[in-house]
Amino acid sequence: MLSVNQSLNLLFGSMFPTSTQKNYWIFGSESELNKLRENANKAFIKRHINRVQGIKDDKSNYFLNSNEERLLVKFYEIKMRDFCRRFTPQMPKPVIGTAFHYLKRFYLNNSVMDYHPKEMLITCVYLACKVEEFNVSIKQFVANVKGDLEKATDIILNNELLLMQHLNYQLTIHNPYRPIEGLLIDLKVRSNLSDPDRLRPTIEDFIDRLFLTDASLLYSPAQLALAAVLHSASKNQENLDAYVTETLLGKNNGLQYLKDLIEAVRKIRTFLVKNVETPSRDQIKYIEKRLEICRNEETNPDSEVFKQKLQEMLFRDDKADDISYQAEPTTSQNGIEKIMQELPSI
Amino acid sequence: MDEQTCPRCKTSRYRNPSLKLMVNVCGHTLCENCVELLFIKGSGNCPECGVSLKRNNFRLQLFEDSTVEKDVDIRKKILKDYNKKEEEFFSLKEYNDYLEEIETIIYNLTHNVDYIETMKKIEHYKKENRESIIKNKMKYNKEILELDRLIEEERQHEIDKRESIEKQEIEIKRRKIIEKEALIEELMFSDNDAKEILNYFSENKNKKENILGINKQLKKDNSKKISYFSTGVRIGIGDSNQMYGKVLPKIEEGPLFVYVEPQLIVDGPSFPTWDNLEKMGYLRYTKQESIDENAGGFVSAYACMRALQEAMCGLYNISKKCDI
Repeated sequence: MLSVNQSLNLLFGSMFPTSTQKNYWIFGSESELNKLRENANKAFIKRHINRVQGIKDDKSNYFLNSNEERLLVKFYEIKMRDFCRRFTPQMPKPVIGTAFHYLKRFYLNNSVMDYHPKEMLITCVYLACKVEEFNVSIKQFVANVKGDLEKATDIILNNELLLMQHLNYQLTIHNPYRPIEGLLIDLKVRSNLSDPDRLRPTIEDFIDRLFLTDASLLYSPAQLALAAVLHSASKNQENLDAYVTETLLGKNNGLQYLKDLIEAVRKIRTFLVKNVETPSRDQIKYIEKRLEICRNEETNPDSEVFKQKLQEMLFRDDKADDISYQAEPTTSQNGIEKIMQELPSI
Repeated sequence: MDEQTCPRCKTSRYRNPSLKLMVNVCGHTLCENCVELLFIKGSGNCPECGVSLKRNNFRLQLFEDSTVEKDVDIRKKILKDYNKKEEEFFSLKEYNDYLEEIETIIYNLTHNVDYIETMKKIEHYKKENRESIIKNKMKYNKEILELDRLIEEERQHEIDKRESIEKQEIEIKRRKIIEKEALIEELMFSDNDAKEILNYFSENKNKKENILGINKQLKKDNSKKISYFSTGVRIGIGDSNQMYGKVLPKIEEGPLFVYVEPQLIVDGPSFPTWDNLEKMGYLRYTKQESIDENAGGFVSAYACMRALQEAMCGLYNISKKCDI
């Protein structure tokens, strides 16, 4: 039994510290994240710089800048949260967390102008459902989308592999939900806090809002969980300092880490204060309007360039498969136009 | 193979799974039905090349290529006459020349090259060597008879062996039954201690078996004497083993796998051991597993431990990528 348990220890315990999440997707600081986003923005502008040459006035305002991109992503993060909440059948929390991770990771290295966030966000949710083993078929899934279902299906399935590629196929996400459960159990056993379960509503609210910030790209899920628990405790007029310093860290020489841990928790909590302001509708409208002009036509499913490319691909596929019957050109044209109609206004 | 069709009625194996293709000396195929139809009188002409054929000469086609069939046919005929042995020649070269000549004749006949000339050559050879041909034929027949005799002998030997083994087994069975009956009788009527009787009988039995065992060994030695098949191939495992040992190439092996025990990286405060999980009362706060879950091997301790470990793992995490 002992050896079995030892191997189980490894099975559970080695998860986060050896994960790709820790090695590749936890960053040092916010400025590092911003730098990455700026690089993605600059790279896009560099590739499409010849487009501005014909325009005489206001060249600087043709492309979106990095800040505008971030605002737009943030706006769609809120959309994604609402979409996940309204999803039927009800979605387990880790799915939402994973989807958030995917979306954030994707726009670290990609520009909004290349891939529109409204397309990526449903793809992220769909992929998260799969990875977190929340079994919904694509039909069930798009039933939650407003608008043209066929078109939504096409967008999701077309972008799924692309998304995975840009995530470097590092799909396992460690969410703070299970660590929260662990902390609550530990609180019940090792602290004199009465009824820790009453902390739950505030904890959940905290984590929900945390996902709208960059905190999950900077701190480990256990740290996020601890911050949520401590935050909730102080909101409920409880003090868990003694638990943290004496019980959690004190028993096994963890005190040397105390300073860093307190600092991490403090920073996570300040995230919420300064970062959760929703971008205004007017701002978003203005950005979206400009995005329509400057976005990459090759990845815009509504554009002529995209349609042409798709047609070519279909044609090539037909040839490669050596299908004897010819798809009628009129119907396929209609089909694509139908697909290309407006994306769900989620 | 799938494309085998009768050239006359165009029946294929697909349409008639029991299709039998026949071939005659000319090498052209016909299906069984066509043979019956065409050669109802016993003889007729080949529909392909017009050579007159006898029905009796039709046989089943073994090879797909009809020229091979023809070759086989002709070879059989030629070898009846060209039946000299290696011993009859003075040197190996002469014998090889002779074999080569045979091959040329067969090739010429199958492909219809210099047909008439070749036939003349054969006639000439026949006349010249009539005596030796007949002599060799006799010799050949004798050899065949000798072989048949050897095979027959071997088979007889096998039968004898099997019979003797069967007899022995019956004898052993019979003896066992007698012993058993004697034992029961003794137990029934004797006044001695039952244990003693049992011991006495089992000892007796052992002795007898020993004697029988020796007999068996002797028999085995006898049967080992024959170590050659009638064809002259040696029987015996030892020799063949030696042979394979030489032939088998040595397999290059890479470095051996070394097991390295995986290390648990916590990067956080330590969590309770499995024993403490229950002692300290952690399990009181975890949902008891259902019967279904337990059937799958899951217990609530796993879920509890996993949550605790995940709460601790990475708590000390500090990202080192602060290069900005």
